[in-house]
Amino acid sequence: MRWSKQRLGKAGLAVAVVALCCALGISADTAEHQLTVYTAQSSYSLPVLDRGGKAYLNVADLLSPLGASQPHVKGKEWRLELNKAELRLTEGKEKAVIRGHQADLGGKVLVEDGRVLVPMDAALSLLSQLLKTAVDYHQPARRIFVGNVFTRFHAELKNGDQPSLVLTFSQPIKRLDANHEEDRGVLFTHTDRTTLTFSQDPLVSDVNKQQFGEGAIQSLTFSEENGAASITVTGNSKLQVIRSEDGKTISLQPQAPVAVATPEPTQQTAPSVEEGQRHTQEFFVMIDPSHGGYDKGAIFGGKLAEKEITLRLARELRKELEERGIAARLLRDSDIDLALERRAEITNEQHAGIYVALHAGRPGRGVRVYSSLLSDPQQPLAGRFLPWDSAQSGALNRSQAAAHAVAGELRKKGLTVASLGMPVRPLNNIVAPAIAVELAPEGDDPQSMESQKRHNTVASAIASGIAQVRGQMGVRP
Amino acid sequence: MIPRHFQITVALVLLAILVSGMVIIRITHKEEAMTLRGADTAPVVPVVGGKQEHIQVLVAYDDDQALRWRPADVFLPAERGMRARETLRCVMAQYLQSPSPHPLAKGADIKDVYFINDDTMIVDTTAQFADGHPSGILLEEMTLASLIETLAANVPGITKVKFLVDGKERETLAGHADLMSFYQTAAVHEMAKEFE
Repeated sequence: MRWSKQRLGKAGLAVAVVALCCALGISADTAEHQLTVYTAQSSYSLPVLDRGGKAYLNVADLLSPLGASQPHVKGKEWRLELNKAELRLTEGKEKAVIRGHQADLGGKVLVEDGRVLVPMDAALSLLSQLLKTAVDYHQPARRIFVGNVFTRFHAELKNGDQPSLVLTFSQPIKRLDANHEEDRGVLFTHTDRTTLTFSQDPLVSDVNKQQFGEGAIQSLTFSEENGAASITVTGNSKLQVIRSEDGKTISLQPQAPVAVATPEPTQQTAPSVEEGQRHTQEFFVMIDPSHGGYDKGAIFGGKLAEKEITLRLARELRKELEERGIAARLLRDSDIDLALERRAEITNEQHAGIYVALHAGRPGRGVRVYSSLLSDPQQPLAGRFLPWDSAQSGALNRSQAAAHAVAGELRKKGLTVASLGMPVRPLNNIVAPAIAVELAPEGDDPQSMESQKRHNTVASAIASGIAQVRGQMGVRP
Repeated sequence: MIPRHFQITVALVLLAILVSGMVIIRITHKEEAMTLRGADTAPVVPVVGGKQEHIQVLVAYDDDQALRWRPADVFLPAERGMRARETLRCVMAQYLQSPSPHPLAKGADIKDVYFINDDTMIVDTTAQFADGHPSGILLEEMTLASLIETLAANVPGITKVKFLVDGKERETLAGHADLMSFYQTAAVHEMAKEFE
C-alpha cells in the first residue's frame, strides 16, 4: 500500500503531537475527585472512587462524620445506624433498605477491604431518607447540601482612590484559599485572575458572571467543581485579598506596597461546656490518624509515608479498644484530607471521651507521648464558651493523667518512652482530654515503622492505658 | 512522485528537530528556575555591624534528642530588634552548617522581627524555613524551643513570641508544631528543660 501525501501528512502530524506531549511532559490532571457534604454542624469532603467507570463512595466516609455507627457485617449484609435509623446494604445488590423501606441505589453495592462502597449518586437518597430532611445535590460539582445551609453572597464594586470589590456573605466563611494567576497571552497587555476557593463553605450563587467594566477589577465569575465553589475575579492588576475579622466580608483591591500588619489572633470558639453536658453520651475514644490525602507527613526510607503508618496503627488501636469493651471512632478511615481545625471540631461536636492523635516521626527510638502545653490559658468567657486556642485548659490535668498511664503501659512492654508537654496541633483546641502518641523508628531502620508486631504492641499498650484512666475521662471538672 | 522512504525520512527528521527543540526549551526553563531558586537562598537582610559578643545559644541535637547551651561569638547591634534578629540568625547558622546537629533546609533564615510592644515579638521566617523543615513533632518543637530560648536568654524582656512564614500566618511548622499561637517564653523554658 502506498501512502498518499495527505495521509502521510496526517500520520506525521499525529506522531508530532504525541511526541510534543511527551517532550513537554504534559499529563492529565490527576487531582483526586471528591464530594463535599455541607450540614448545619459541619462540612466534610470524601474521595470519589472509580469502579468500572462508575463513581463510588465509601459509606463510612459519607455517614461517619454525621455520627453513624461503623458498618457491622452479618453474612453478606452490612448494617449501620444513623439517627436511630437503620441502613442495610447487601453486597452485589442494587437496592438498600433504609428505615425498613427499599431504596434504589443505581448500581451494585461493592465490598473492598472491609469497606462498603455505594454509587455516588445514591448519596442523595441515603442522606435524605436517613436524616429525614431536604437534601440538595449539585451533581456535576459533587456538592451535597443537607437542609437549608446555603451561604449566599453579593458583590459590590466601590470606586474610590483605589477600586475595591467587596463580597458580603450571608454566613461567616470558614476556610478560604486564594490563588493568583497572570495570563500574558496577549501582546502588550495581560489579565490577572484571583481565584478564591471555598472548600468548606456551602457557597451558592444565582448569578454566574458579573461585569464591572475596565480597570483593575473587571469581572467576577462563580463556579462549582470537584466539591468546592470558586469565585474568580479578573482585572489588569494583582489583587490583595482581605478577610474581615467576623469572616462575613472579603475585600479585593489592587496590591500596594504595605507595611507588615500586626497579626490579630483569630477569635474562634469551641463548643460550650454546658452544651457538652447536655449531650451525655456513651464514652468513646476519638482516634485521629494524623495527616492523610495530600498531607503525607514524614517520609521514611524514601517512600513510606507517616499518613499510612498512622492509619494502620489507628485501625489496630480501634480493635484493641473494642476488645476491652471501649467504643472507638476514627477521624478518617481512608486516605482523605482533613484539616487540623476540622479534626478538633468533629471531636468536640461528637463529645468524645478522649482524643488520641497518632503520629510517626524521627528522631530517636521508641514512642513519645504528648499532652498539651498551653502557653496562655484563657478563662472561659462568661461561662458560656471556651476560647478556641485554649479549649484544652479544663481537661489538661486529665490529659496529663492519660499520657502518664499510656506511657506507663508502653514501658511495661519494654519500649523506650518519653512523656512530654508540647504545643502540638490540634491538642489545644480539644475540649476533652487529649494526647498525641508519636512512634519513632528503631534506630535507622525504616522497616521498623511497618512492623505489624510493633503496631500490635503499641496499640495494645495505648488501649490498656486508656482503659486504666477511663473512669476519670468523661467527668468534667 | 516522491518515494515513500524519502517521505518517512523527512517526517522523522522534522520530528527529531521538533522534539530536540522542546527538550532544549525545557532544559533552559529548568536552568532559569534553578538560578532563581539559588538566588532565593542568599541572605534576605543586609549584614549588620555591632559589637562582638560572646553569647550562649541553645542548640538542638537530633541524635541525642537533646538541647544544649553552646557558646557563640556574634556581632550584635545595640538596637533591640536588630539584636533579636541577629541572635536568631546565629541559631539558624548552627543548623545550616555541615555536618549539622539538626539540619534545616537551605535558605532557612530570619527575614525580620517586629515588636508589637515591649514584651511581644513577631519573628518572620523565610518560606524555606517551614517548607523544607523535616516533619515530626519532636524535630519541629526542638527547632522552636531552641530559637525562643536563645532569644529570651539574649534579649531580655521578651515574654511572648509568634512566628510567621514569609509574612503570613501558618498553622504548623511542618504538620505538627503550632505556629498560630503566641509562645510564652516561660512555658517554653519549662518545655526546653525536658530536653536537657
